Amino acid sequence: MTRQRAQRCLAAMVALLGAVTICLASPDLDRVVALAIKRYGVHAAQNVDTWRDLVERNRDLPEREKLELVNSFFNVNVDFEQDPVVWGRNDYWATPLETLGRGQGDCEDFSIGKYVTLGLLGVPIERLRITYVRAETGLSGSGIVQAHMVLAYYPEPGAEPVILDNLVGELRPASRRPDLKPVFGFNSQGLWIAGRPASSDPTARLSRWRDLLRRMNEEGLN
Amino acid sequence: MSLIKQLWLAIALVMLVAFGGSFLVSSLSAKAYLEEQLLLKNLDNATSLAATLSQMPKDEVTIELLISSQFDTGHYESIRLVNPTGKVLVERLSDAGNIGAPAWFARMFRIAAQPGVAQVQDGWQQYGTLTLSSHARFAYRELWNSTLRLLGWFVAAALLTAIAGTVLLRFILRPLDKVVQQAEAIGARRFITIEEPSTTEFQAVVRSMNAMARRVRQMLEDESSRLEQLRREAHHDAVTGLLNRGHFLARVQTALAREDAGAEGVLVIARLLDLHELNRGQGWAVMDTLIKRFADALRAMAPKDAEWVIGRLNGSDFAVLAPGEDDAGALAQRVQEALQMLARELDLQAVCHLPAAATPYRHADQLSRVLARVDVALANAVAGGGDTVQVAGMEQAPADAGKRMDLATWRQRFDSALTMGQVKLHSYPVVDAAGQLLHGECVARLRLGADSDWLHAGEFVPWLARLGDLARLDEMVLDLAIARLLNCTDNLCINLSAQSMNDAVLMHRLASRLGETPELAKRLWLEVPEYGVFQNLENFRILSALLKPVGCRIGIEHVGHQVAHIGELHDMGLDYLKIDASFVHSIDQNQANQVFLRGLAMIAHSIGLSALAEGVGSEAEFRTLVELGFDGATGPAITARGS
Repeated sequence: MTRQRAQRCLAAMVALLGAVTICLASPDLDRVVALAIKRYGVHAAQNVDTWRDLVERNRDLPEREKLELVNSFFNVNVDFEQDPVVWGRNDYWATPLETLGRGQGDCEDFSIGKYVTLGLLGVPIERLRITYVRAETGLSGSGIVQAHMVLAYYPEPGAEPVILDNLVGELRPASRRPDLKPVFGFNSQGLWIAGRPASSDPTARLSRWRDLLRRMNEEGLN
Repeated sequence: MSLIKQLWLAIALVMLVAFGGSFLVSSLSAKAYLEEQLLLKNLDNATSLAATLSQMPKDEVTIELLISSQFDTGHYESIRLVNPTGKVLVERLSDAGNIGAPAWFARMFRIAAQPGVAQVQDGWQQYGTLTLSSHARFAYRELWNSTLRLLGWFVAAALLTAIAGTVLLRFILRPLDKVVQQAEAIGARRFITIEEPSTTEFQAVVRSMNAMARRVRQMLEDESSRLEQLRREAHHDAVTGLLNRGHFLARVQTALAREDAGAEGVLVIARLLDLHELNRGQGWAVMDTLIKRFADALRAMAPKDAEWVIGRLNGSDFAVLAPGEDDAGALAQRVQEALQMLARELDLQAVCHLPAAATPYRHADQLSRVLARVDVALANAVAGGGDTVQVAGMEQAPADAGKRMDLATWRQRFDSALTMGQVKLHSYPVVDAAGQLLHGECVARLRLGADSDWLHAGEFVPWLARLGDLARLDEMVLDLAIARLLNCTDNLCINLSAQSMNDAVLMHRLASRLGETPELAKRLWLEVPEYGVFQNLENFRILSALLKPVGCRIGIEHVGHQVAHIGELHDMGLDYLKIDASFVHSIDQNQANQVFLRGLAMIAHSIGLSALAEGVGSEAEFRTLVELGFDGATGPAITARGS
């Protein structure tokens, strides 16, 4: 993912997160599962079913355990693959259902999936930041860098965040991830006005996000 | 409320709703659009500024400079950076300033765009939340301008619609005025027809109203010709069409009693001797032809402007009542010569003997006396043999030798009398069926000098007619009547002569004089004699068109001789008919006349006229007339109750 593409996606991401926040208000998980079975077959739908159980059974866990659970769930059940391979086009923003149904996704899909799931589990979104990072993927000092996206969790506003990443399977505090240089972090806080229908929101007019919102709506996450 | 006002109101209401609605909708949608645009700008600018700040060194000066540079060169209301603990790090606020629209407008259409919010990071640390809102000034200005433009359109379109509406309404409603006029006319029993308008709906209305008016007119024509038929059968001789004995005598009596005109003249009777013998000798056919020619000749003798009454009293007696004639002998001679000439034409001069007799009469003569005089004279003529003419003078010579004056002297004396105002009014009561006074019918009295006797109209009107001065008298009578109306509360009625009626200039003068005193004009009844009306119906139409609007009531007097034409009065809006005394005389005993008058009253009522009777001579006659449907009467036996 190039830096330019990352910037182009920024505004779109903001809108998606907002939509997700609203979706969390009244998710229809039965419908999400039914749709997964219909679309991806019984086998693929097991992913979604498992995800549903995870969401419904773990609402009362401590937050730290929710992070572990969600992070490993996505890292285990979703294989990393670039958009052109999975969806046949560049920069396709998949909904959690699509990501889990295919069992494939890129870094944005991981981050969005974790963000949405933690939201469903009751983690306050002001503690979450989806963060664009510059990642060194080669050996330290090798100079091989790429645009990457992770989810950061801030237990306190001024605290050091915990990073949920698909490159490194375990949760680590930011200080133990010298390979990541944060560029810009955001969540949907302050962007989404409660009670306002998503379709009337001006940001929804960005066609990619309108499309995504529509799909999420159809899938029962709205 | 008139139709046109209601339409106006509806147009105004529709305009108001339409433009008020579009004003509101467009303002609100513009407001929503502008709010959305502002929100997008806020979000985008906040995100991009936050992304930039996240990459900058986090010293206060750099942060403040960056925010100030954005704020000072952009269009912001406020930019604020708050750290995670809620402390304000940097804040920039613009002063209120001019918003480019009136304050009330800004209050009414408040543009409330959400601020844009984005997170600033310092490495992995949260640095703060950036809140940014753009200035709404340009939005207010835009909204205000578009509102003004819309208002301009509203005013222009309203004016345009108003003008177009006025023109259109005028055009559409033009036929309606005529329709309303016709409906009102029919309501007042004037059965007029009008041209059908082109508007379909009005056309149907007018068509059926026209059809109704035509039906009514047809019915009137049928009814009046039936009456005419009735009158002919009752009053006329079957062979000659001349008046029969009974009606001729009634006409003579009426003429003698008449106040206004023709109360002086000559009665001539010519007799065809031995008619029975002649019938046997010459055959019925020949004698009928001769008699018919006699009748035609007598009719032809009558001057155009005089109202001669000609009758066949029994088989052999022909009578002529010639009002206005003064030389009895000469007229009898002329009658006899005319008849003798016809006998010669049929080669009957040897067997036809035509003795004739004549007598003058004047106003207030007794009918029996006049008849006695002429009977004696006729007996003398018959005794005198073959073709004698006898004249019977009046029992006493006229008291006033002045009446023997010639025309030139009359002219002079009238002139001075009229100039000196030696005219006064005398009035007779005309009452309604209950005996209440309807109006006083005025007749003129004139004297030739301050110490002379007052003359009855019958004594001077024929002379004035001959001098062509009746119009002058009528105008004077009108003046007197107006003066009298000022001093009493009764209604008054005056007669207009046919001569006056035909004088268009005089009619206009009368109309304008009465127009000055509309209160008095309402109490004035004007009437014209029947023969004058039907002689020149167009002029009468003009008269009624001129005088009706000023409030006068218009009527016809001495009605009954030309009933076939009564239907033609249906669209004039007249008020009343006065039926001639010759039909009213002894009405309580005359079955044929009762049928006739009942029919006449019915026709009059059906076109909205009252029927009044003239010359009522007894209480029994009055009662019979009321039973026949008459609305009032006048005559020697009539006195107004309570006056």
